[in-house]
This record gives sequence, C-alpha cells and structure tokens, in this order.
Amino acid sequence: MGAVNTVRAIVVRDLSRAARQRSRLLGGLVRPFMWLLLVGTGYNAIAHVDGAVSYQAYVFPGMVVMASLFGAMLTAISTVYDREFGMLRLMLASPAGVPTILAGRALAATLVGAFQGAVVLLCLPFVTPVTLGQGIWAGAALLLSAATSSVLGLAVAAPLRSVENFAGVINVVLFPLLFLSGALYPTGGMPLPLRVLARLNPVSYAVDLMRHALGQPTEFGVALSLVVLVATIVLAFALTAVVFDPEQRFTFRHRPARS
Amino acid sequence: MMAPQPAIEAIGLGRDYGTTRALEGLDLIVDRGTAVGILGPNGAGKTTAMLLLATLLQPSRGKALIFGHDSVGERAAVRRRLGLVFQEASIDGLLTVRENLRFAAGLMGLGGAAAHRAVAAALERTGLAAKAAVPARQLSGGWRRLTDIARATVHAPELLILDEPTVGLDPEHRDRMWMLLDAERRDRGTTILFSTHYLTEAETCDRVILLAHGKVVAADRPAALMSAVGTEVVEIEGPGAEEAARSLQDVATVRRTVRTDRGYRVGISGSRGDLARAVGATPRITRFAIRPATLEDVYFAQTGGTNGMPAGTATSTEGRDGRGQHGPGDRRS
Repeated sequence: MGAVNTVRAIVVRDLSRAARQRSRLLGGLVRPFMWLLLVGTGYNAIAHVDGAVSYQAYVFPGMVVMASLFGAMLTAISTVYDREFGMLRLMLASPAGVPTILAGRALAATLVGAFQGAVVLLCLPFVTPVTLGQGIWAGAALLLSAATSSVLGLAVAAPLRSVENFAGVINVVLFPLLFLSGALYPTGGMPLPLRVLARLNPVSYAVDLMRHALGQPTEFGVALSLVVLVATIVLAFALTAVVFDPEQRFTFRHRPARS
Repeated sequence: MMAPQPAIEAIGLGRDYGTTRALEGLDLIVDRGTAVGILGPNGAGKTTAMLLLATLLQPSRGKALIFGHDSVGERAAVRRRLGLVFQEASIDGLLTVRENLRFAAGLMGLGGAAAHRAVAAALERTGLAAKAAVPARQLSGGWRRLTDIARATVHAPELLILDEPTVGLDPEHRDRMWMLLDAERRDRGTTILFSTHYLTEAETCDRVILLAHGKVVAADRPAALMSAVGTEVVEIEGPGAEEAARSLQDVATVRRTVRTDRGYRVGISGSRGDLARAVGATPRITRFAIRPATLEDVYFAQTGGTNGMPAGTATSTEGRDGRGQHGPGDRRS
C-alpha cells in the first residue's frame, strides 16, 4: 500500500505541475496543430499519399502520436530538473525505492502525453469521418504510445546530469524519433539506412498502430506493433532502473566534468 | 531487559569519491532522543557523513545502523524512520504548502485519511496553517525553510538529519526553526543530528562532533570540549600578539594557543594573575579581551581555523589531535 501511495503522490504532483505550467502545455498542443493547419494545408496541394483522402488526413495519426511523444517524453525528462533542483533526492529518500519512483514518474508522464494526444484526437472529426470504435481503438493506441514515450524519456533522463543538456536532447532524440517514425511521411521511400532506422524506432510502431486504429493502411500489422511497444516499455524501464544512479545528485561535484 | 538500540551507530563509516577520501571513518553512537551537532569547515565531510547515515550514499567502508537497521541492507526500514532536511529547501515552488506536505507524506507511504491527518498536524505544529494554500514560490526564505521542516517531519520520523538547516535564515526564523526542533524532541522523543556553521547553535546540544579533512578530530559534550580549550579565552591582536601570548604563561595556566588571521586566542584555566598587566607590558597590542571559552575556540583549535586556513596555524600546549576527547570506547552521546 505504501508503494501505491508513493506512486499516487508522484502522479498527483506531476499532474499539478503540468496543469500549472500552462505555457508549456499550450506549447505542446500548438506543435501538432501548427503542422496540421499550416504545413498540412500547404502539403495538401502538392502531396498525395496512397490510401489517404488528403495529406492532413494521412498525417493526423502521426500528429496524435507526436503530441503524446513530446508531452510524455518532456515530462519524463523533467526528472533532470528535479535532480538539479533537489526534488529528486526527496523521492530517492522514500522507502518505496527507485523502481517505484520511476513507475510514478512514468505513469505521470504517460497521463500528460495521453492528455495532449487526446486533445488532438478529439479534433479528428473535423479532418476525416470517424466511428466510435475507431475512436476507442485510437484511445488505446494513444495510451500505449504515451507509455512508450514516457519510458523512453526516463531512459534518456537517467544518465543526464544537468538541465543544460535538455535542449540538446530534444534535437538529438525527440526530432529523430519523430522524423523517422512515418508520422509525417511514409518511410518506404527513404534510403535503406534510414528505412532500417525507422524499423528500429519504436515510435514507428506507435504511429502504425494509430493508423490501424483510424482505418489507414499499415506497414507492420497490429500484433507486431503491440509486441514492439510492450517490449520497449518493459526493456526501457528495466534499463532505466539499472542505469539510474541514485547517488548522482550527491556525487556530482566530485566527478570530472562531462556532458 | 535489553537496552534499546541507539538511534545511530556508525562503525568506521567512510566514503571515497574516486581517489578523494571524503570521510575517513566515522565512529559514532547517538542515543535516542538526543541532539548531536556535526561541525567542521567546508569540505570536512559533514554532508557526506549525513548522506551516508541517510542511506543516500553507499559507504566505501564501515557500516551504519539506524535503530538497529543496516543503512545499506535495510534501507526501507531506515528511511521510514528518517526525516531529512538538506542545505537547500526541498520544496516544489509550483505546489502550495499543503500540497508539498501531502507529496512528502505520500513519498513516505502515507495515504488517505492518515496522510490528511499528518499534513494537518504538521501545518498546525509549524504554524503554517495560515499559509497552507500559498504557492511555495511566494514564500520568503524563512517560511520556505519552515515548510521544509514541516515536510521532513510530516511522517513523525524518529530521527531527523539536518544538513546546515539554518543557512541563509534571519535570526527570527532561525530561532523559530530551533523551537520547532526542540518541540519535536520534547514531544515525540525525536533524535536530531545536524550540521551547522553557526557554532552557538551547537552549544546546547548533547554532543558535538568536529570533523576536519574527513576525520573526526573531536567528539564530546560541548562543555567538555570547551573546558579542554580552557575556562576563559584571551584574545590578543596586533603585531606584538605573539610575544604577549607567550607572556601569559607566566600568569595563567595556558591550555591552548591558537593563531588566527587577526592574532592569537589563548585558552587558560584555573586561577590566574593579572592578565591585563602581562599583556599590557607588551608593546604593539591593538586589542585585548578576556571572555568565556566557546565552541568557536574548540573549532579553531581543532580544525586550524576557518576558510581553508591551513591546519598548521593552530598550535596547542596539549597537541592538536584531540586525543583524550574521543575514542572507540567513548562514542556514546
């Protein structure tokens, strides 16, 4: 029961923080809508993707995943801020232990990511017709996508020492995950090395699952996508629990400088 | 009937950071319900010692038992009994005072009505009830620290470890904070281990541990430590201070002589002759004062001064290693 209370405390705190950082929340929502409205409208005129009525309709599943990816990952990576500003040490002093703390962070990040994705998903009827069944499926795919993103975010945050690396992480991790996921364009036409990278990218499977839920042609199939996403969650969480150094905050000043 | 386990028992507890030996080996017993202060210059190993006892660092050698539980093998049991206050307040500025306490209660495993009661009691105890709904970022440094104390005590810990809790506080909030800690001790029998640079704060505690260069250089009751320096301390400043300090040996029993940046501090005890005349006979003295010995004198004598002053600047008629003040058989507070 103690561990449940600890997870709940972390989730409530992270959600309260997210709700009070409105500019960050809005920023996370503006990104997919900018793509849908500005880029999507322009691309409608020049791009045609097989099996989709319009580029906007094609890109919509990717935008839902994009919203959840950024929301969940950035929330999870904010663990670095907590480490820097002393809140993480409080969590690490909890009797619940590191895996419970990480689970709480992952759950909170998942909920933030799912919320941001859901806001985009709710706009789907304005872009293309959708059935209730498709909506429910898409909701499930969104949860899985957000969970995958949150655990990947924790794995990225685990070795980070300071917030100075935060912007770099967005450029080096988040954008490649997005651009190599098939969210914005089909990966089939890419050169072989990039196609391989796209296949290794778990976000590709989240996008594919979302396409399936919304009735678009898919590349991998539901079963493979589910297996890859669940396996990513399990492996990335285990890796984070192993890599995560609870002493890092306290031994920082004694270590040689390294980014 | 078996005696209760001490709150803290450290045996050769030490920690290295790479090739740096931050804490050599701490031998310490702290009885339940007592208050123990850890003093020492920056880099002496105080924070390392506290983090080791708080289970947040792994020891490189030795071990620590907290209420009989091993700090490495039984972390969860130790942490349930611990309340921690760090140098910087661990308060989330985006949350209100009440939400911060609720968060802390949850981290310690409390939920539902138990957490609600614990938070209400902590707010009441610390006088924060009126500020419960205020976002922590709007609090002054003093109120933030009091919130931090409330946060650390919300689960009624048996042992409070505080690392320089009064840094940056004005006297009013410092006083209020110590009143809260005294109340914790009095009302709930909480054991308190703290480090501080304000030496007067340690004069009322049951035991003081002086660390320097990762080693314990003295450990005893404050009164015993101060009496080892002398019952009184003569402060002499000016170019002729060294000569004047030497001249005191003719009129008093000199216990310790410590050179500081300003001059000399000479600890004396027993009956004494006319110190003013002895010092006054020496030319080039700009200041001369006699006052009771304080922990600051102990600190200077044992650590060689503050602000990185080399240890060699302190001299003593009894030697500087603190022998006779602590030892393996004299670890109990």
